[in-house]
Amino acid sequence: MDNTSQFTNLLQNSTLARVERMRMLPMRRRTNRSRGEHLAGKGGTSTEFNDYRDYVAGDDMRYVDWNIFSRLNRPYIKQYRHEEEMHVVILIDASASMQFGDKFQRARQLAACFAVMGLMNIEKVSIFACQHSGTTPLILPPCTGRISLKRVFKFLEEIPPGGDFPIEEAVEATLVQHRGRGIAVLLSDFLTFGALERPMNMLFSAGLEVFAVQLLSTIELNPELTGDLRFVDSESGMTLDVSSVGDLLGFYHEHLNGLQEHLATLCRQRSGRFICLDSSQPLEEILFDTLKRKGWVQ
Amino acid sequence: MTFPGFSALINAWWFLLLIPLIIFYFLKLRRPRMEIPSLALWRQVISDQRVNSPFQKFKRNLLLLLQILLLCVLVISAMQPYLNSGTQRGQNLPVLIDTSASMAALDAPGGKSRLAEAKEKVHKLIDDLLPEQQLCLISVNSSARRLTDFTSNKRLLRESLDQLEVSHVPSHLEDGFRLAQALSRAFPIESVMLLSEGNVPQDVEFELPFKLNFQRLQPGGANVGIVDFNARRSKTGWDVFARIEGSETAKTLAEYELRQNGQVIKSESVSIDGLRAERLVFRVSTDIAVSLELRLKPDGFDSLETDNVAYLDLPIPRPLAVYCPADMTSFRNALAIIPDINLYPSGEPTPAAVDLKFAEGPLSTGPEARVNVNVGYVPDDIASLVEIESGLAEIVDWQRTAPLLQHVQLLDVQIADQPKLAKGVGEREFELAGYEILAQSRTGPLILERQTGNQLDIQFLFHPDRSSLIYRVGFPILIQNVTQVALMRAALSESKGTTTGTLPPLKMAPETEYQISGPHGYSDSGRSDKDGFAMGLAAPYVGLYEVTGPPETRRIGVSLLASRESSMKTIDKLNFPEVSVTAADAEVKSDQPLWGWFAVAGLCLLTVEWWYFQKRPAGVPA
Repeated sequence: MDNTSQFTNLLQNSTLARVERMRMLPMRRRTNRSRGEHLAGKGGTSTEFNDYRDYVAGDDMRYVDWNIFSRLNRPYIKQYRHEEEMHVVILIDASASMQFGDKFQRARQLAACFAVMGLMNIEKVSIFACQHSGTTPLILPPCTGRISLKRVFKFLEEIPPGGDFPIEEAVEATLVQHRGRGIAVLLSDFLTFGALERPMNMLFSAGLEVFAVQLLSTIELNPELTGDLRFVDSESGMTLDVSSVGDLLGFYHEHLNGLQEHLATLCRQRSGRFICLDSSQPLEEILFDTLKRKGWVQ
Repeated sequence: MTFPGFSALINAWWFLLLIPLIIFYFLKLRRPRMEIPSLALWRQVISDQRVNSPFQKFKRNLLLLLQILLLCVLVISAMQPYLNSGTQRGQNLPVLIDTSASMAALDAPGGKSRLAEAKEKVHKLIDDLLPEQQLCLISVNSSARRLTDFTSNKRLLRESLDQLEVSHVPSHLEDGFRLAQALSRAFPIESVMLLSEGNVPQDVEFELPFKLNFQRLQPGGANVGIVDFNARRSKTGWDVFARIEGSETAKTLAEYELRQNGQVIKSESVSIDGLRAERLVFRVSTDIAVSLELRLKPDGFDSLETDNVAYLDLPIPRPLAVYCPADMTSFRNALAIIPDINLYPSGEPTPAAVDLKFAEGPLSTGPEARVNVNVGYVPDDIASLVEIESGLAEIVDWQRTAPLLQHVQLLDVQIADQPKLAKGVGEREFELAGYEILAQSRTGPLILERQTGNQLDIQFLFHPDRSSLIYRVGFPILIQNVTQVALMRAALSESKGTTTGTLPPLKMAPETEYQISGPHGYSDSGRSDKDGFAMGLAAPYVGLYEVTGPPETRRIGVSLLASRESSMKTIDKLNFPEVSVTAADAEVKSDQPLWGWFAVAGLCLLTVEWWYFQKRPAGVPA
């Protein structure tokens, strides 16, 4: 690849090269009828030993571990892992609220990174971009392999900004289209009026482990506001008059922390992960430091 | 202190500004719009119960509350609030300040005078003057003098007050009240304030048409002074008498010095007990005019200095010069038995001026005299009021206390001249002509007296020779009384110290200019009248006065000689004919203006508001 031309506008070539060697680390093993590089927890016919169990009448004598029998004088049956394929579903919140700061750009970049990890590890990757409420999300159908990289990047680069699709409705719309178990990566600011328990439950029921990434800009993380203001919602256009905003920042941070704790609890209770990122934080720092330390990737 | 009041209550209309203030605040015409990603979190913040707590609502509307408070403070300040002192005080207040001699008394050694204390209280009054109030300062001693008109000009009032000085004269309050009454005709006056230490006459001959606020100052300390200094003629010269009195608390030794024409002739110590007077007697043998000066030097604290010196002028001792025409034999016989009289005409030439003159016709004949007795003649200026007819008259009433008629019995005196008053003429017409009726019959006056400058004219409208008077014991007594009057007027029988107030009439060349210089830098000038008398010369201070004018320069010593002023006795109340006013010892109460405090409060609020909204807002991480 020529050093002067980028493979994609979303990532530097050097970053892309490093991401290709990374893989996501799901917390649970999910079974899938297709064969992938992620090992399912169910017993299979591969050569990789998994576990022992007691011998019961009718088991195949070829799987008895005679070494243990000679020592313990009791028969045990060896079990082997079943190699299965994981589906990576990436859901990008492309609504108007994501247009503030670098949130949408960072979301696309992270989506690209997670997609690269999935493709390079022979996973099925599909991307859903949710924009306008009531409409069908933009879909990149499931694809696999390195050959799909260009298509993924093109899809991500061409996602138009703006819209008013709440994240909880976006999840439901996604699950209408999606089939398969694996990981669901949610890239959103999660600033919604609706409840998030239902979409999380739906994802969990669909066999998808939630990787929730909340992207917030500086104005949302540390607002420096004073005086009397009229706030205007970027998606709905609704207004809210707030007096002495500076005096209410303490309460704002309390509610923001509460939202993050709520999201983390929802994910944790469903064996998922949650992280809040500052959209102004460099991508490399996110990928190679923050996510690695959190155990999301390796 | 009672309830607060407002001088400019009409400014309360500015409170209506609160309405647009509140409206504009909540309309937020200039509330900036700000697009944010989502209202989700901010809705939760606003809905938070803690945000909607009263304290948080208070904090959110703190700017509005501060602005409301600031506007209220400014409007109240514009309404000129004051704390009502509880004393009645109208718009126009005359303040009478006692400036008599006793007001110079100190309260303690090295202390301040009573007048200084009065000035402090008046300064406080001036400082607390409300915008619609005016003061008029009046100085009251033996008379009254207006220092300022009714004014609210504090600078003018303070300047006039600072220039006020004590006059070494006794106090006399009637003039001050009359002046205040005269002012009330032009300005509405509800009450008058009097500031004095209380050393004033208790009975005041004045009917109060307004309320009087008598503010009594602290009295002066112990005092000793000379209250009387006079002399009587003796065979060898003069017997000089002096009386020293003190205040009730004065118990001290004092040394006195008597000087004659500047030379000390006697010096002694005397013990003074405030409860009783100390009398001093001296004998002065002289055949020339002398000036005596008596000085007192108390050993202890003496609150008033002006009464420690007294002056007395003794004229040259000489016989009384009397002129009585030769044909007035009854009068000459009565005069012949009176000792120490030079009766003219005699073998010696008649002087151009005598002390006493008798006449039977117009007084223009004969030598000039201080005392003139005219008999059997109606002067031209009252000829239209009364005429004498032949007839029998009796004296029905006479002034028994008049110096001329003391110890003279006029009852049953038969008079062959009968006065007849003109139609419609009464006693009033004679008073307007300057005459006082000393004796009268049923049909008219018989004996009149008139004072013209330094001259006394006694008019007998009837001739005593045509009456039984010359045969009565009373006639020589009457003549004796006349000579006594003449002796007193010539200061030949006794002499009294001249007291402060006015100098005695001085005889000089007619219609000539004269100059007066006195103590404390006092100076004045004037012109003598057509008769050559200089009268009404003011002498407000104790000391020596020099009158320069033809024919010669005269030096006159003036003393206080006022027993009440030296006694430092104070009164509790003033008695007017129909009411009594009790003195108040409390501090002079005045309304306390408060607008300044409200203005300062407004400034502090403004500062707090600026600081509060300039500091870093809460919730923003550092």
